[in-house]
Amino acid sequence: MTAESRRKLTRSQRRRALKNFGNFLLNIPLLLIILVPLVYTVSISLVNPDEVYKTLLFPHSIQFGNYINAFTNPSYSFLRYIINSFVVSTSVMLCQMVTASMAAFAFVFLRFRGRRILFLAVLATMMVPGEATIIANYLTVARWGWTNSLHVLIVPYMTSAMGIFLLRQSYMTFPGELKEASMIDGCSNWRFLIQIAVPLSRPALGALGAYVFLNTWNQYMWPLLTTDSDAYRTVQVGISMLYDIDAQSMGLMMAGVVIVIIPSLSIFVFMNKQLINGLMAGAVKG
Amino acid sequence: MVKNTKRPRPMKIKKTPYEIIEPYLFLLPALAVFAVFLYYPFGRTIYLSTWVTDALGRPKKFVGLDNYTIRLFGKDAFWTSLVSTLEFVGVVALGGLIIGMITSLLTYNRYKGSDFCAAVYAMPVAIASAAASMAFRMIYHPTGGLLNNLFGTQINFLGGVYQFWSVAAVTIWLQSGINFIFISAGLKGVPTELYESCSIDGANYWQKLFHITLPSISPTLFFQIIINIINAFQSFSQVKLLTNESPNSSTNLIVYAIWHDAFRAQRFETAAARSVILFLIILVITLIQFSFEKRSVNY
Repeated sequence: MTAESRRKLTRSQRRRALKNFGNFLLNIPLLLIILVPLVYTVSISLVNPDEVYKTLLFPHSIQFGNYINAFTNPSYSFLRYIINSFVVSTSVMLCQMVTASMAAFAFVFLRFRGRRILFLAVLATMMVPGEATIIANYLTVARWGWTNSLHVLIVPYMTSAMGIFLLRQSYMTFPGELKEASMIDGCSNWRFLIQIAVPLSRPALGALGAYVFLNTWNQYMWPLLTTDSDAYRTVQVGISMLYDIDAQSMGLMMAGVVIVIIPSLSIFVFMNKQLINGLMAGAVKG
Repeated sequence: MVKNTKRPRPMKIKKTPYEIIEPYLFLLPALAVFAVFLYYPFGRTIYLSTWVTDALGRPKKFVGLDNYTIRLFGKDAFWTSLVSTLEFVGVVALGGLIIGMITSLLTYNRYKGSDFCAAVYAMPVAIASAAASMAFRMIYHPTGGLLNNLFGTQINFLGGVYQFWSVAAVTIWLQSGINFIFISAGLKGVPTELYESCSIDGANYWQKLFHITLPSISPTLFFQIIINIINAFQSFSQVKLLTNESPNSSTNLIVYAIWHDAFRAQRFETAAARSVILFLIILVITLIQFSFEKRSVNY
């Protein structure tokens, strides 16, 4: 568009531009409410310690000391926490994909005694909030001597009713002939699951994966109860151990928060569709 | 579910023993995890709530319902905690719904920047409550936090009468994303013909909002408020981290009280009893939701 033609915007175009701008302006208060806490956190993590308590929104000075400190400080093994959280979240995610695919397969494609009752048993787990069983679960794993390990963070979350439902829904959209035809061709149930059902349910698996990884990464209460050594601590517990004694630790704390939020936001940005589909399926449970 | 019972059944072929157990093999991993970490602890929690336990959570003496009647219902602290939890849940459920409603309406029409706004409004779903609580601790800081710097004050937002509202505000902030996502999806499902015919009749924005939009999405709003209630009941990290493990009576929410009973007071029996109460509350809410959903199909 040349400058000449730009000047000749018609009245309606100008009005539309104005309306567009007005529409956007209405969003500003709420945009600020959501974004300012995050921007402020980044600012505090970057500012010099003597300016922490004076910073309004943007930092006057920038230094990366807190980030270097978060990774190199011997008394605060942030790198360890990140590795732990990655191992735990990835394991939980993969386990849920496997167990949920298998269970959903049985419920959709196989006929067996007790199918209805077992399905109700899975359905019923959605009614129980995790916090209501957390004490008994803690006592179980403590009796087994499982506390302070990575498997204590993984094993209890290896399956979920939400995952089973999500995949069941996906399998139910398969045409009925698919299973019959493959059975006639002599395809075993295991092979059908691995070579046909799993590839065809990729969107549902993606939704489950994004949702479960994020939820596990963000988990706080269970890791808090079951781990109290640096070797097995996860990120959310790790960042919340620091206390705001002075400006120095405030900066370190905020750097930790930023580092921990980056993977969460990456999933939100790069797997947005899958995450939202997972959330929609998962919201049925509390 | 697809019904294929109409077809004549094939001649009975005897299944091999493996074919009989195969379906259960597919279910085994999931059901084993549920059995050990869901059904068993569920029963165990009810069981423990009728005993007095030692500091390691082992049952020592059967006391029937004493943990409920004497150690909880008989204490004022329990009722204060319950009432605070209900107040908190009410504030968070409504606050989340209102923010979700406003953000959804603001991004309903497409314009330059509307996609950006929608992404920002949905973003809190990805952020952990622990991480957000730590960030808000700095924002609420009594001497040099963002809020006090902005207002030029020295208010202790994390103590006294402010504590309840500070914790509730963070929880609403965290819940605003899921509220936006669901309500926004509900709004997009309202048939546009309804708005068009209304515009022809000369209705203005607010008339359309109150006579078409709100009634049309009322099932969504109802569903969303149930989700908000259930989520708010489960708030824990924001209470523990924002109040520095010392909530006052207005912020001593039920999950925090469960944790405190078990891990600070070593009273696993009252923790178990409180867990059962939490379960019953969530159960009632879920049943209300089910019965309404069944009814709303008929309208």
